[in-house]
Amino acid sequence: MTILGDIFILIGSLFLFLGSLGIFRMPDVYNRLQAGTKATTMGAMSLILGVGFLNTGFLVKSIVIVLFIVLTNPISSSTIARASHKSGVPLVKKSVVDVCKDNVKKGEV
Amino acid sequence: MRKFISILLLAGFVFYFATLAGGLMIPSSSADRKSVGLEILSRAKGETGAANAVTSVVVLYRGFDTLGEVTVLFLAALGISVFMKGTGEKRKTVLDQSFILKTGSRLLFPLMFLFGIYIIAHGHLTPGGGFPGGVIIATGFFVILLTSESVHFNKTVMSVLEGLAGLSFIGLGVVGLLGPGNSFLQNFLPLGKFDTVFSAGIIPLIYAVVGIKVGAELSSVVYAMKESK
Repeated sequence: MTILGDIFILIGSLFLFLGSLGIFRMPDVYNRLQAGTKATTMGAMSLILGVGFLNTGFLVKSIVIVLFIVLTNPISSSTIARASHKSGVPLVKKSVVDVCKDNVKKGEV
Repeated sequence: MRKFISILLLAGFVFYFATLAGGLMIPSSSADRKSVGLEILSRAKGETGAANAVTSVVVLYRGFDTLGEVTVLFLAALGISVFMKGTGEKRKTVLDQSFILKTGSRLLFPLMFLFGIYIIAHGHLTPGGGFPGGVIIATGFFVILLTSESVHFNKTVMSVLEGLAGLSFIGLGVVGLLGPGNSFLQNFLPLGKFDTVFSAGIIPLIYAVVGIKVGAELSSVVYAMKESK
């Protein structure tokens, strides 16, 4: 159980590190959100699960916290991305496709 | 009238700073202050049965002060709803939220409500209690009011809940006054088994009441802010 918990915490901290690196390295808001959300969701999930494995009395609570993160984190990032797209934050020049803009034109969003 | 009010305010400030200065001038050693905390820590378990010593202070040793806090919060909520009433016209809010946000907030609302109840019910065991729990419940209402325009809740139910909660707080205090302890907000229930949910006498009851009151008040504040022009 201890080894499992350690492995989870290691994976989690790796993901969190990569996520923070992505926030600095990525070129525009949307890419940064991508890095910041995906990596931190995964990182926080496995970190908290690892803590739960290390301290078994905390396991149920940590699973509940993980579920909560799964529910909230993607929603908030999608909302931020949508808001910034609506207020006209430009994409990086290298981008090849803007599905959201096309959908707005078609009237689907 | 205006002069009178300004003189009153000035007198209040002078009184406030005088008491502040007086408190600073009277020397009190750190050992004195420490002894109060140690005394409470040693006595709280036996006297109140609460695993969380902070709660035992907030609800029982200075429960009267907590009643005052609840009153202050009530007055603040009242002030906000009067202030926000404005012209009486209801604002038509057109929210343009995405499907993901709407569905997500509807999913989250019952969970947040449940979490608030959990925090309230475990106030005497873990950090938390009536005030934070009530705020969490109100946050749930806040999320759902921000994301969907079709949500309306009954204001009368909210005010009735709030009033009943405040009344039962005072009622619990009066029962303590009439009981064997013979003082306001004195514990009159058995202490129960230490460190379980059903323990610590009237602390969970008072926290439940405070939680209902705070939750209802802050939800009505949020609702008033949304409705006002």
